[in-house]
Amino acid sequence: MNALTSSGNGGPVLSAQHLTIQSKQKKILDDLSLDFPAASLTAVVGPSGCGKTTFIRSLNRMVELTPGLSIRGSVIYLGQDIYDPSVNPVMVRRRIGMVFQRPTVFPTTVFENAAFGLRLVHEDIETIEKSVEEALQRSGLWEEVKDDLDRPALSLSGGQQQRLCIARALAIKPRVLLLDEPTSALDPAATQRVEATMQRLKEDFVLVLVTHNVGQAARVSDKVAFLHSGHLIEVGPTADILERPREALTQQFITGRFQ
Amino acid sequence: MSATPTPEAVESREPLPPPSSPPAETTPPRRTSRFRPAQLIPFIPALVPAALIVAVIAELVVSTGFTNFGLSFWGPDWLPSPSVGTPTFGILVFITGSFLTAIPALLLAMAIGLGIAIASTSYLPRWITRFLDPFVDLLAGIPSIVYGIWGYLLVAPFFGTVINPVIYRYFSFVPGFGGKAPLAEGVGLPVAIFILTLMALPITTLLIRDSLRAVPRDLWEAGLGLGATRWETTRKVAIPYGLRGIVSAGFLGFGRAFGETVMVAMVLNVVPAFPINFYSGTSTMAAEMFTQLDSAHGNGQFLAALSEMALVLLAISLVVNIVGRRLVSHFAVYEVPGL
Repeated sequence: MNALTSSGNGGPVLSAQHLTIQSKQKKILDDLSLDFPAASLTAVVGPSGCGKTTFIRSLNRMVELTPGLSIRGSVIYLGQDIYDPSVNPVMVRRRIGMVFQRPTVFPTTVFENAAFGLRLVHEDIETIEKSVEEALQRSGLWEEVKDDLDRPALSLSGGQQQRLCIARALAIKPRVLLLDEPTSALDPAATQRVEATMQRLKEDFVLVLVTHNVGQAARVSDKVAFLHSGHLIEVGPTADILERPREALTQQFITGRFQ
Repeated sequence: MSATPTPEAVESREPLPPPSSPPAETTPPRRTSRFRPAQLIPFIPALVPAALIVAVIAELVVSTGFTNFGLSFWGPDWLPSPSVGTPTFGILVFITGSFLTAIPALLLAMAIGLGIAIASTSYLPRWITRFLDPFVDLLAGIPSIVYGIWGYLLVAPFFGTVINPVIYRYFSFVPGFGGKAPLAEGVGLPVAIFILTLMALPITTLLIRDSLRAVPRDLWEAGLGLGATRWETTRKVAIPYGLRGIVSAGFLGFGRAFGETVMVAMVLNVVPAFPINFYSGTSTMAAEMFTQLDSAHGNGQFLAALSEMALVLLAISLVVNIVGRRLVSHFAVYEVPGL
């Protein structure tokens, strides 16, 4: 368990290695390997059904909540395979946080939402208050909610709720934050604010963003990985992939030929 | 929003006649303005429940003959046909007995129902719950006379020979658990409460299970994604989300236990007296009416007393139901916005 809490030493913080995920009917991911270095935002792009959501969910073992999938290969977090039988998935998810497609605030106050993960580890109230404020500032929501942290979280707008979900994931101080199409349910203005938040966060966290929106990948990511039918087609610096793709499939995708 | 025409815009489209059209009296009358008796048909089935409630209350009120038993009606003395003196009809014992059996049964049924519902929704694999869930539904269909026979022939002797003697032996120092030794037949409060629990259990379990199942998968995953265990997610996300349904389960379960008659009459050891200890018998409003109806035959005052007791039982059930509804509607409906 120590490996999960110690810090890295130059190599990738998170690394998927020969990951193959199968359902009874088909292979969802086929021998996929990808590194996520520190202080970077990697965008995983691809058409619907390419396996990108399954991939990001495999990075913190959320994929195991879907019954009937077999998972082979490994995901190395700071030198430790998170699929090792000795590793507790609950501990994995505390280090590798996740934000979902739709805002998933709990039916309680803004403060209690942000404090959810902290309460699980029984922090004292001063620490919780400090961490909640810090997380809300990082997610760019603090100025909008600081005067009334006890209001119901469901009274926030969709974009504010999504930034609250980001704050909630940040409050427990993960190293990695997985974002599964976090703006797919938001309007353009809210999307812009969430993108600004992502850009600030990549200084301090390893961000993995799944998106079907090439424009979003271009705006916020350092690195783009293109997935198609469960295969990693190509990966590289954002500008290279989006402006000079080597593969025909990538070219077709970024020019909008299939979606 | 702007695409949808406002009501005024819709209305103004048709009735404006062109300037050259004939005068207003020759325009055909608007279809909706004419009353047709057929329009009343839908009201008939809708009014049946209300009419039934009114009819039942009216019948009970009439059959009381407006007999005024005075304050002694709320008192502890129930002497319908005393050998000396005038009859007294005090129903305090039965009100107490009804609550004394229904409340513990409800609490047990809620606790067990919550346990079954949590296990079924959050822990057990799908193929096991698919096999086990129908049994809860089947339990709801067992007639109460079957529970009564089973309770009298099987459960009561078990309580009388095993459970009650053990409790009596080791816990008689606790107030209410000592005193008169339990009967070997076993009939009494513990058996009645135990079987009432089983009878209230299907409704509490089903309602709690449904309200936990209604928790969106997104919220479950959000909880687990924040490093919460399944138990923490159940406790801090699913139960608060389903609270409305859980509270309704409590009120419906109470209704089930509070009005139960035949089974209670068979296993409670019905005596019109307050219980003297944990093992003794007492009586409930429902059980007393059931067992006394025959003795009351032809005795107008006695029948009036039973009718008034029925009104009290009905009133308490209705009040609990209404208070329950109001209370439930006070909990906010938590919905994840559909976006």
